[in-house]
Amino acid sequence: MPPSAPPSPSRSGLEATFLENRDKLLHFLRARGAGDAAEDLVQEVWLKISRSTPGPVAAPLSYLFRTADLLMIDRFRSARQSGTRERDWTQAHADEAGASPEPSAERRLSAAQEAGHVLSLLESLGPRVSAIFRRHRIDGMAQKQVAAELGISLSTVESDLRVAYRALAQWKERSDEA
Amino acid sequence: MSGDDKMEAEALDWALRVGDPAFEDWDGFTRWLDESPAHARAYDTVAAAVADGAELIGSSAPANDDALPAIMATAPRRPRRAWLGGAIAASLMLVGGLWVWQAGSRDLYRIETLPGQVRTVALDAQTRVDMAGGTAMEFDRNDPRFARLKNGQALFTVRHDEARPFQVTVGEDTLVDVGTVFDVRRNGEDLSVAVSEGAVQFNPKAQDLRIAPGEVLRRHGKAGDYTLGRIAPARVGEWREGRVTFEDTPLRTVAADLARATGVAYAVAPGSADRKVSGSLLVAPLRADPAALGPLLGIEVREDAKRWMIGVP
Repeated sequence: MPPSAPPSPSRSGLEATFLENRDKLLHFLRARGAGDAAEDLVQEVWLKISRSTPGPVAAPLSYLFRTADLLMIDRFRSARQSGTRERDWTQAHADEAGASPEPSAERRLSAAQEAGHVLSLLESLGPRVSAIFRRHRIDGMAQKQVAAELGISLSTVESDLRVAYRALAQWKERSDEA
Repeated sequence: MSGDDKMEAEALDWALRVGDPAFEDWDGFTRWLDESPAHARAYDTVAAAVADGAELIGSSAPANDDALPAIMATAPRRPRRAWLGGAIAASLMLVGGLWVWQAGSRDLYRIETLPGQVRTVALDAQTRVDMAGGTAMEFDRNDPRFARLKNGQALFTVRHDEARPFQVTVGEDTLVDVGTVFDVRRNGEDLSVAVSEGAVQFNPKAQDLRIAPGEVLRRHGKAGDYTLGRIAPARVGEWREGRVTFEDTPLRTVAADLARATGVAYAVAPGSADRKVSGSLLVAPLRADPAALGPLLGIEVREDAKRWMIGVP
């Protein structure tokens, strides 16, 4: 969906890339599970980009796809969360009439406990895995750069990240079942 | 391995690859997603779990940078001799006889800065290297008196030790300090060395040229002529304060220096590479408004698909 306002010069490059690859992006969003919402989401991707991009982007195509991918991950996360909330609310409601679905002190506390739990989970994987995960996922450093900084090979970084990802996936699976 | 396990392993692999800022294989990723509608869900499950985990970890405790040097010291290392063999042999020959050095071979690690980023590496209490943006360097775990500039720019502030001079290699060139603050810049094969305190001995085994304070040695291209110019000592390393000065500097150098300093994708317009300009400017305002460079240097700044092209009007 092309923007209705005239584009500022700094985003003309991205816009051209967007227009040229609109169909590809649409295909990607469908494959990514967007279903009927794919058309709307293509537009949302464009709106997100046109609101936030400061200037020329080094790899505009990757930038488009990354925005779309993160959008889908966020949708998945919020859908899952509202599912959990609903379930919690129903349980609370069954126990005690008039319980509120708003985050209570208890809920915030349990979030802090969960953070502590994930933290110790990551640390239990060893200092290198933990340092690599933080550098890459929290500081946003590319895997290649993490390898360079720590003086280790890229494949070591990848296999350490794989260990961390697997542990987090299992943690999430357990907490969803609980 | 069951089909589900296989799919989960693949999903984890894609999450690992796609999550890297350098990832580009969106076609390959789309093809995998096309294979089955279950793939998207498996991918989302992993990617969301990792995002949730990272969010919790990031919000609960700041990354502990202090832990990193310890990791670097204990991390298992690849055997480097195989792929650095030639380089080590060459540098051994180059510096052989200058001083006896402790370890048998280099044990290098690499540090890079992104464009617009500045980083200080402390090699000992009185020796530090300030790396400008877009710079790649290598250091030696066993020898704090050695550094290699792969590309970019760095300011060296070095404690002088007559018995063990500090040595910098840049491509095939070697610099040896004689008690020193000096700035080294490498753009491709273009080299410049500016000294503000002490002196630097350039290629002691070949040209053996002494660069004194207030002097700057420049070479254009690998086999280009050397020129020794003047530079105000205060200007050496001024980029650390966010200022860049050009004096009769070709636009190709201006574009490369500014891209490094600001993180803005500056490039030189066709036909303008050798046009020379002069001017002194602050870096920070250019990040907010890349086009502001035009009036400051009397040049034209034009935005094209991915870059800010600079050239003569």
